[in-house]
Amino acid sequence: MSAGGPNPPGPPQVKSLNCPSCGAAITLRSMNNAVSVVCEHCHSILDAQDPRLAILQKFHAATDEDQPLIPLGTRGNVRGTAYEAIGFQRRTIHVEGIPYSWHEYVLFNPYKGFRYLTEYNGHWNDTSILRALPSVNSLASPPTVTYLGQTYKHFQTAQAATSFVLGEFPWQVRVGESADVSDYVAPPRVISSERTGKEITWSMGEYMSGADVWKAFKLPGDPPPSIGVYENQPSPLSADTTNMWFAFAGFLALLILMYIGFDATARNEQVFQGDYRFDPRDRTEPSFVTDVFQLKGRTSDLELTTDANVNNSWIYLNYALINQDTGQAYDFGREVTYYHGYDSDGFWSEGKTRDNVVIPSVPPGNYYLRVEPEADAALGTIVYTITAKRDVPQTSFFGIALLALLVPAGLLTWRSLNFEHLRWAESDYASSGSDDSGGPAPTITRLFGGGDDD
Amino acid sequence: MIRNLYLIYGLIVMGTLATAEYRGWSLDSVNQLKNVPRSVRDNPGSYRAIYSTYHHYTGGK
Repeated sequence: MSAGGPNPPGPPQVKSLNCPSCGAAITLRSMNNAVSVVCEHCHSILDAQDPRLAILQKFHAATDEDQPLIPLGTRGNVRGTAYEAIGFQRRTIHVEGIPYSWHEYVLFNPYKGFRYLTEYNGHWNDTSILRALPSVNSLASPPTVTYLGQTYKHFQTAQAATSFVLGEFPWQVRVGESADVSDYVAPPRVISSERTGKEITWSMGEYMSGADVWKAFKLPGDPPPSIGVYENQPSPLSADTTNMWFAFAGFLALLILMYIGFDATARNEQVFQGDYRFDPRDRTEPSFVTDVFQLKGRTSDLELTTDANVNNSWIYLNYALINQDTGQAYDFGREVTYYHGYDSDGFWSEGKTRDNVVIPSVPPGNYYLRVEPEADAALGTIVYTITAKRDVPQTSFFGIALLALLVPAGLLTWRSLNFEHLRWAESDYASSGSDDSGGPAPTITRLFGGGDDD
Repeated sequence: MIRNLYLIYGLIVMGTLATAEYRGWSLDSVNQLKNVPRSVRDNPGSYRAIYSTYHHYTGGK
């Protein structure tokens, strides 16, 4: 790993030389800080520390094979400091035989030194070389590194090769040079290690949106749209999800308080009860009316319960709750049915001997019930009891409210988990069955072949 | 933004719940009729129940 920062600060300077291979003009923007410089005409990699610009390597590439999105020489403001884009390289890994490439930009400031931008599928990272070594826990699953109190989970390890270079580099860059690289993520940051021989370079990247990069460098047009979920892309949903569950907890507490309050203050008053017998074989008029009972208090519900001694039989009751004074009636039919027996699966049963119905919003007043029972004449007499209770709290509404509060929180959590699933689907820890839904390919974020820092 | 929307939504849910409990709403289906004649009390058979055509369960497994 190259050490140290740039030479003593001075105003930005540009030095022009000629390529010893093709004679084309070569611009050195970082002056004596560049170690390698690439002739963009003949693709010779030259030793920038050598006054004669000794040729280190020549590689074959079309001049326009890979155009930097940030043209070299462009100046921009990154985190409050002016930087100039001076170098550009493409690096490639192969996963299951498929090449995946990303781009890296070398930025230079004569006072601050070098920093880097990486780009893959519209996802950007602002990257710097670490000043201290992170501590590695390779026994954890997945392995982690800890840096400045923050733990980063291992995401992926691969071998990356430099496949295209342009401009200046603070290390001896070579096309074809490869290194083992590992990424550890804690969104929005990523720590990358790059091993070349016995040398390890550690760097830290922080996620940037394409819009931020375009704004920083005042680039024309719009940045390429980001595709998929990137390894250290911060989830846009995680904060919202946490906040929503906090809000849900508040609503749940309110819900419990409301339940206790309504249960404690409800009248829950039995206003009527009557026992009856019905013989369907009887040819007389089956319908009858009950005694008048009074419903007190505010407009509220009335719960009517029918208990019948049905046994492999049924009884159907046409009910009408009639206000004696106004003639307003609530008309409804209820059936009590209970069947049971044994078959090859053992005991079975259907129905119950009790039926409940809640008549909504019944104003106070004097009421009676008109009842018209029906039953199967072949099944004999049925005994049944009718009970009416006034102002009974309805638990079902609390259940519905709880569900209504849970659904949005659950959906947001599902989306947030899906975001993480898509992130880790591109890692070394992807479950078999992970989708291939157009997200970023499994690549390493920032893998420089060495380099200087300030 | 999403949190604020959820807060508004949650308050609407809680308000609806409180109204439902206070006013005695129900999930059961009941038909309301007006001006049922007083004679029903003396002659219950004169009333025609809306549900008198209900198809009764006569099953079992």
